[in-house]
Amino acid sequence: MSISYLPSPPDHVPEHLIVDFDFFDIPEGVHDPVEIWHDLVRRGVPKIFFTRKNGGHWVFLNYEDICEGYRDYEKFSTYQAPIPPIEPFPTVQPQGVDPPQHTVFKMLLAPMFTPTAVKEFDEELHRRTKALIERFADRGECDFVADYAGKLPTSMFLHLMGLPEERLPEFLEMANVFFRSTDDAERKQNVTRIYAILNTMFDEKRKNPANDIATKVLFGKDLQGNDLPYQDILDCGFLLFVAGLDTVTNTMTYIWRYLATTPSAREFFRTRRDNTLEFLQGLEELFRINAVSNLFRRVAKDVEYKGVFMKKNDRLILPNTVANRDPRVFENPSTIDLGRKVNVHVTFGVGPHRCVGQHLAKREIMISIQNWLDRIPDFSLAPNQDASHPFGGAVMGFENLPLVWDAPTKLKG
Amino acid sequence: MKVQVDLTKCQGHARCEDICPEVFATDLVEGKCVIKNELVPDSLREKVTLAVRNCPEFALKLSSDTEE
Repeated sequence: MSISYLPSPPDHVPEHLIVDFDFFDIPEGVHDPVEIWHDLVRRGVPKIFFTRKNGGHWVFLNYEDICEGYRDYEKFSTYQAPIPPIEPFPTVQPQGVDPPQHTVFKMLLAPMFTPTAVKEFDEELHRRTKALIERFADRGECDFVADYAGKLPTSMFLHLMGLPEERLPEFLEMANVFFRSTDDAERKQNVTRIYAILNTMFDEKRKNPANDIATKVLFGKDLQGNDLPYQDILDCGFLLFVAGLDTVTNTMTYIWRYLATTPSAREFFRTRRDNTLEFLQGLEELFRINAVSNLFRRVAKDVEYKGVFMKKNDRLILPNTVANRDPRVFENPSTIDLGRKVNVHVTFGVGPHRCVGQHLAKREIMISIQNWLDRIPDFSLAPNQDASHPFGGAVMGFENLPLVWDAPTKLKG
Repeated sequence: MKVQVDLTKCQGHARCEDICPEVFATDLVEGKCVIKNELVPDSLREKVTLAVRNCPEFALKLSSDTEE
């Protein structure tokens, strides 16, 4: 990725609001990528600041400003908002457009991803999670990212789209290039390839409609009952492919990193397997603490926000992890309290663009925890964690998470 | 006690339904909150209060059942 540093600050940004901050850069010695954000708060930088790194952008650090950044789409647009700015950027549907355009695909997808609707995938989720775990459970070790968290969301995408499981390696490779490649040519080629595959998939669905999300999107209508533009359908397919992958993978990696080091947390979820309310309460706390996404917005028009002048097309980052530990909203914000009663975290965003797949993501992670702890009740981080390679960016995480546990084959060996 | 939802604020996080499915559900079209019974029985007061306080959109409101 070519990362540009603005040679001089833009004229409209006063010097006292400028902080040197690169959200991709995880300095040597920092083991947890979210810490680069909390370090800003500890240093007492302005709650609305501008950095010249990555093409220059604003950052909000207060809970209420981050929420405002999400809700007020007339000021803070999702359209063409990548940081650093790359244009044109794939306009994913509906995440990449604002209301009223946004509403068409939101209304189309919303019913497919309600809490009730996603429960239909439970059986498949149980089957796929157990099958993945079974591949390494007796080995006593795994790389959680490569062997589990990196695979499950892509595997579920195939199921949602009615694509055969055998195609998993191909889709994993495309996902990997999309999220990790720094080679512009390779990235471009990969996006072209994803669109070509989606095109073939929709062609197939047109000939053989099925009871899957791909078919529902293809034959979806707008609010007046007209067919949807085919390009928008492709862009929605693209969203469904990429949106649930990296975020779920890295959220799970963070959660397993915590479970591996916290026996009492494993105990908490094991003993509450069938106590839905308390299990979910604990899960919400895991979501609050392990918020991996930093969302991008583009300032839609010249605005003054809380006394700060922002210019049209300025970029803005909304770091969920910072909102989720705002001491004015959360008691003991840095303490992980699995019994936390009030938890208005913004891990799935708020406002019209809140994550449409959040209920599916929750089920994926909930069922993963249940089946994992059934099969591998105790586990820990492998001694050599230097290999975990933390990374920053729009989605933060770890490239690897080596885990170990007692297993029959290991005991024999 | 009475509970109401502002559907212009609700975005369908369904945290209310997670906490108190006895009172809250999600509609199948927009995925937004449906209140099955506005008048909250005493036995569910605590759960409904918790549901209201956990709405990330602050879309739920409690009032005494005599208020308009």
